[in-house]
Amino acid sequence: MTPEGVAGRLAALLGAGTVVSGTATVDVERTRWVDAVTTVRDDAELDARFFDVLLGVDLLDEGFEVVVRLWSLTGRHAVHLRTRCPRDDARVPSLAAVFAGAAWHERETAEMLGVAFEGHPGLTPLLLPTGFVERPLRKEFVLARREEKAWPGAVEPGESTPNPRRQPLGAPGRRR
Amino acid sequence: MSSGPPVPPRSRGVIALLEENCTVCMLCARECPDWCIVIESHTEDLPPLGPRGRPRSRNVLDRFDIDFSLCMYCGICVEVCPFDALFWSPEHSYAGDGPTALVHEREQLRDWMASVPPPPAEDPAGAPPD
Repeated sequence: MTPEGVAGRLAALLGAGTVVSGTATVDVERTRWVDAVTTVRDDAELDARFFDVLLGVDLLDEGFEVVVRLWSLTGRHAVHLRTRCPRDDARVPSLAAVFAGAAWHERETAEMLGVAFEGHPGLTPLLLPTGFVERPLRKEFVLARREEKAWPGAVEPGESTPNPRRQPLGAPGRRR
Repeated sequence: MSSGPPVPPRSRGVIALLEENCTVCMLCARECPDWCIVIESHTEDLPPLGPRGRPRSRNVLDRFDIDFSLCMYCGICVEVCPFDALFWSPEHSYAGDGPTALVHEREQLRDWMASVPPPPAEDPAGAPPD
């Protein structure tokens, strides 16, 4: 099915559906999150029963976005479902009961982005050291390695150290 | 120099530096996402070539280090170099006994040039040159 066709079917099922970067995408309220994913999974026409990935995005003032990508093995098309939660209320219902494999992805997203997945069987940390309370994928997280080391690109041709009188050249990622 | 089984074409083992081609433009150091290239240089004045000429200055490389303990082998530095001073070498057996052993200085980067394979033959099915 083409992305446009999938988006049309999403609109019929959930009342919305667009094509974003070549993939049919639907934004749903977090109160409808589990229902929406279940509806897409169980729809015979879409047949998107393969759970591909779940991830979180830090949208700064617009809160956090949780994206799930489903795939149809028969139709060879993808469906992206997205939901948002505010920064000060970072909670999203868990999809672990819809796709058992989503539990692992939600554990990682909870650990790295600090989004709590309500109804998850156990959000135990996966990768970070014990006692690590920071959320590394949040935009405000400061990468210590980038703070302690000077950017090598600040040196101009013909220099060994950056000229202190010149306006410093910002390192990539700090130019905002 | 190489040991072990042969590696496929275009393998990314280590980055070699052809110093003669480097103009110290700093592009590789600035594009490197891992900040693993450190370059130092100074400016040298050249006398005028003729009686009506004027003195020129050029940048002379003092230091060119690549820290392979940070490098993620993305190859952006090789791609971005406008003067073909950086090359991929398939040489990959350079383990050291500590992170500092993976900082390759300019002499070592030059030595890797010997292991850089010749460019692949032109693909007869490829697009014609501009």
